[in-house]
Amino acid sequence: MGHSLIRPIIIMGVMYAVLKFVLPNIPGSAALPSSLILLYLLLTLSGIIIFETVSAESKDAFWGPMQKFLTGDNIGGLRPFRYGILIFFPLLVGWQTYNATAPSGQPPAESRVIHPAPPGEYTGLANPVPRTPENIMQGKGFYAAFCSPCHGANFDGKGPAARGYNPPPANFADPTTIAMLQESYLFWRIKKGGVGLPIEGMPWKSAMPRWELELPDEWIWKIIMGEYDGAHQSPRTWE
Amino acid sequence: MNPVKLSARWSAYVKGVLIATLIVGGAADGSAQESVAVRASLVSGALPVDDPNAAAWNSAAPAVFPMSPQVHWPDRIQEVTVQDLTVRALHDGTQVAFLLEYDDPTQDPDDAAAIEFMVGDKKAHFAHGQPMLLVDGGPVNIWFWKHKDNKGVDMWAKGFGTLRPHSHQDVTAKGEYANGKWRIVFSRSLVTEHPDEDMQVTPGQFINIAFAVWDGRKDATGQLIEKGSQKAVSSWWYFRAEPPPDYSGYLYAGVAAVLALGFQFVLIRKLKEGQSA
Repeated sequence: MGHSLIRPIIIMGVMYAVLKFVLPNIPGSAALPSSLILLYLLLTLSGIIIFETVSAESKDAFWGPMQKFLTGDNIGGLRPFRYGILIFFPLLVGWQTYNATAPSGQPPAESRVIHPAPPGEYTGLANPVPRTPENIMQGKGFYAAFCSPCHGANFDGKGPAARGYNPPPANFADPTTIAMLQESYLFWRIKKGGVGLPIEGMPWKSAMPRWELELPDEWIWKIIMGEYDGAHQSPRTWE
Repeated sequence: MNPVKLSARWSAYVKGVLIATLIVGGAADGSAQESVAVRASLVSGALPVDDPNAAAWNSAAPAVFPMSPQVHWPDRIQEVTVQDLTVRALHDGTQVAFLLEYDDPTQDPDDAAAIEFMVGDKKAHFAHGQPMLLVDGGPVNIWFWKHKDNKGVDMWAKGFGTLRPHSHQDVTAKGEYANGKWRIVFSRSLVTEHPDEDMQVTPGQFINIAFAVWDGRKDATGQLIEKGSQKAVSSWWYFRAEPPPDYSGYLYAGVAAVLALGFQFVLIRKLKEGQSA
């Protein structure tokens, strides 16, 4: 196989290795979906083809070896490899077709929105309860009585009643939960509970009680205060 | 070598490679999120509808679901006996049977268990299909068994306070207690004449399923500890009656492989014609 093909093969290999194994290990990153890796590889391949075919000479140098390989014209020791490719490609297409058409047998994919948008009347509300040590302490007391069975005495979502519920109760110590939300959002979620979620929140699965039927608003605001203080988090603000 | 001809040929080749690559990528991206489900295997013999200890149950794959104290609505409970429920299911194309198994240290007359299903296409809240504020929900079908009656009760609900037995009773149930463990069999025909009230099973389709268990133990004053809404509950999971084997995927795969082989043949032939030209 000619020299012109070695460079593109190395580039594609390095690109795949970087996307698959290097990027996920960069702090703050995550494993890339296979569809995104494929997209990047296609873009890389497109770039290589454009680069290698800008002139007639480079085009011949690029395509010529591949044409020789496929036709089997003077490829010497690569002949068994060529037969392998010619057998492997139809089998690969057949296998992928089977995977794409065979009944999956898997339950429907569920894509629940964890923090759906609140109704307009629950945006931008300020906590009307003064932030005093007494009120925070009272809020923690209400939290212990009403919330901790699921959300946990340590505010970590691991209360004794949590294990059977799917979705699991929120972990308030996790910086991606209440730390990303305003107090008015929590007020909405606590008041309306699971049944108050919009459809993208899959309300039929949530065990969160509709506390507006049992607790006065003042208690709910105090609970919010106690949650933030107990979980060592601060509400999101706009400044 | 003619650059124009070569370019056209390689354009076709690259298209082929891209199509194959897209097929590979598309299939890799098409996998569904895995969820916990109980699957009823299709059996050819009689279903063990009245025998929780039948050998046939050994052929059914067990699914284990965690249970929680019911804390969603009053009256709540903070602690329950049953922590996990093992569920198996079988069907024969006309009937479906479920086997519920769980540990219970004591055998009590008020020990009870229930299976809940969504009915129809509308989603129903797992708590008796109670109304949702922003979503138009549907009803639930509940199959209930209690030790002292040792029979199935077929029920319907759409919200708290609406639970009622059907005028038609299609569900059978039988429980047996041994070695600190309850085994309860529920059964019913796959379909009924009341699709608005009953869960209907179509093999191959997933249905939402949930469970509840009451330990009939009593406290020091003789009062039941787990009763009514004070029970162990599960979230919604999935149930599917497995369809008969479908071999069409092999046919499609064979056709695709033959087409790919033909594509290779034509491509190489054209390339060789180009070389000799």
